[in-house]
This record gives sequence, C-alpha cells and structure tokens, in this order.
Amino acid sequence: MLVMTLEAVPESLRGELARWLIEVQPGVYVGNASALVRDLLWDKAVQHTRRGRCTQVYRAGNEQGFVIRTHGDATRRVVSLDGYQLVAVRNARHTELSREYAPPEDDDKL
Amino acid sequence: MTQPSPQGAIIWQRQNLRELPKFRDGTGYLYLEHTRLEQDGRGVRAYHPEGMLTVPIANLSVLLLGPGCSVSHEAVKALSDTGCSLLWVGEGGVRLYASGLGETRSAARLHRQAMLWAHPQSRLKVVRQMYAMRFPEGLPDDLTLQQIRGREGARMRDAYARYSAAHGVKWDARQYRQQDWDRATPINKAVSAGNACLYGLAHAAILSMGYSPALGFVHTGKLLSFVYDVADLYKVEVVLPVAFREAATPGDDLERRVRTGLRDHMTRLRLLERMAADLVHLLGGDDPDPEPSAPGDLWDPGGNATGGKNYAGDDPGSRS
Repeated sequence: MLVMTLEAVPESLRGELARWLIEVQPGVYVGNASALVRDLLWDKAVQHTRRGRCTQVYRAGNEQGFVIRTHGDATRRVVSLDGYQLVAVRNARHTELSREYAPPEDDDKL
Repeated sequence: MTQPSPQGAIIWQRQNLRELPKFRDGTGYLYLEHTRLEQDGRGVRAYHPEGMLTVPIANLSVLLLGPGCSVSHEAVKALSDTGCSLLWVGEGGVRLYASGLGETRSAARLHRQAMLWAHPQSRLKVVRQMYAMRFPEGLPDDLTLQQIRGREGARMRDAYARYSAAHGVKWDARQYRQQDWDRATPINKAVSAGNACLYGLAHAAILSMGYSPALGFVHTGKLLSFVYDVADLYKVEVVLPVAFREAATPGDDLERRVRTGLRDHMTRLRLLERMAADLVHLLGGDDPDPEPSAPGDLWDPGGNATGGKNYAGDDPGSRS
C-alpha cells in the first residue's frame, strides 16, 4: 500500500502520479507499487515539486507498519523518536513554549 | 444532552471501551524528554523540542516521561480514557519513579491473581510454570525449588558468557549503582537501559490487563515484584542480544541506540502479543470484561449480592 499527497505542484507531476496511482481526492493518491517504482515516484515528486509540498507513506516491516517521508514543508518535519516516526509541527505555540521548555544548553553535567 | 452545541462541535458519548485496541495490537512505548503535553480536542499534543507532535495515544501502550516533562490535567484524562499507561522515568529512560492507571476497570483478573498468590500450593505452581517457560527443553517435575533456582542461575551465567564471546565484549559482573551511573561499564549501562524499557513494558502490560504489579510470585516484598517476575521471563531473549551488540559498537548515545534497537527486536519477537497471552495463560484463563459502567457487586460468603441496590428492606430489624 502506497499513499502520496501533492500540494501546489505543477500539473504535469499530478498526471505522472495518476499513471501509477488512483487520485482519491484532489492531491491524494493511493495504490500499490513495488519498492523500486515507489522510490522512483518519490524522486520524481521531490524533483518537480518546486515551491509545493509532497508526502509519501508506505507499508514497512517496522513496529508502526509504515514509513512516512515529507518534502517541501518547512513547518512540518518527520522526527524519529527511538525509531517511532511522528510529525513535528513548528507552529507559533511551539515557539512560545520552546523558550520555557528548551533542554539545557549543553551536557555540562554537574 | 444531545442538542448540537452552538459552535457545531460534535458531542461525544462516553468512550466505548470496545473501540480501544487491546494491548497486544498497539505499539510499544514512546519516550519523551523536555516536552509539555496538552489536550488537543479529543487527543493529546506534545510540545517537543523538535516541534508540536500529535501523538496517537490510543495506539500506544506506554508513554515514558523523562526529565523536563510536564503534563496537563486534561491530557492525563485523555490518556487514561484511552488506556495509555503513563510512567515517569529517569534520564534516558532508566529508573522508574511512578506510574498511572491502565485500561481495565474490572477487578476479576486481580482477584484471580490474589487467589493464586495467597495459597502456597497454587503459588508454587505458578512459580514452576514461570521457570519452565525459560527452559525450552522443559524442567523435570521432581526438582525442588532450590534446584530450579540453581539451574536458572546457571542459565543466566551461560547466557552472559555466550553473548560476551559472540560480541567480544568483556563481561565481569552485573552491577547497577544508581549513584554512580556514569562510572558503570558500557555493557552494564546498555543492559540497564534495556531492562528499564522491558520493565516499563511489563509494568504497562500488567496494569493494562488489570493485574497488580505488587503481587509477585517469584519475587516478593517490593511494590513492583510482579513486574520483575514478568520481565525476567524475557530478559535473556529480548535485552541481552541488543545490549551486547550496541555495547560492542563504538560511538556515543549508547542508551538511545539500545532503545532503538530494542524497538525493532521487540517487534520481531511480537513481544506485546506474547506478554499479554503469557500473562493470561500463567494466571489461569480469562473471562470477558463485564459492562464497565455497571456497579460492582457486594461480597457475601454465600455468593455475591447485586450492587447498586438498597437493601434497607431486607433486615427485619430495620425500621424502614
């Protein structure tokens, strides 16, 4: 199982994905593809995204059962916490709180 | 009230416990440091140094909270509604300070555990079963408990020696000094970090299924005796290979590498699923949970009386 989303990307890239996957909703593509095709589609999406955004989610043999990759969105990043993938959003509230809850500057253990 | 709220928000009914994934279906643990947990609608968001994380709590068995964490009251409510165990732990996920509540609201399993625990004969049977689980070749029936303990000691010594030889990591003795953490040997640190994760998971399994962590069978006297019992069933198989492998690899961040490696290893071993099944098997069968919102019964030597009922009329001497 492979899911990809596209946002604000050139029209031709959408057409390229639609050749392999089903467009369930505008910008949301679902289908099955081999690991090779999946990686090629991802490379293609990243290469042609320009100022837009794209994500890819696919099945994997890890604990969560899937892997997430994102590209083009500076406020959202995938973080891996001990191998568990979550999406970190850098929003205004995070900036405000990070001053309060920032980890200590360095590992100067007393 | 079922009228739509003025803002058009959905009014949720009480959480249907059947919606909750069972312990065995969930993911293992998540360890957070320097994070602030707040409620977000019906879920929980975590303000982590990396950014705001939306945590799928209903899918998570244990949330390990390290130093620098703070949790809002509403976040704890959301976590307990979905049966995610909260554990407060020390830096790097080692040392366990305190824990929250699991997802069962019925005491049936706890009663069975207490019953088995209270009679020396049934307790001995469980203890033998627990030891037998660690010896794939089985244990002869005529061994005394003392002989079994001897065999277990030899099994642990052999396991350490085997992994030490396989990974080329020197092994002297197991040492764990809380006050002197930084001076422990790397392999001892790795084993401690791995054990802490395993304890956390065993603790979460016990709480989540409605057993008591205090009523240990092999171990006794501590509030977490049963946690040690359960963790010991898997220690050699789960922690040692990862701990020795990571201790043999040069580089920083040993504790984190052990935790990451453990996650993959536990998935491969299907540990959550096995732990839940083994607990039910060890403590004798299982009944379905009763309706969680129904009142509990009242105990009577001749069989329980229905709860939630006023018995004032039953006593001929009462004036009602």
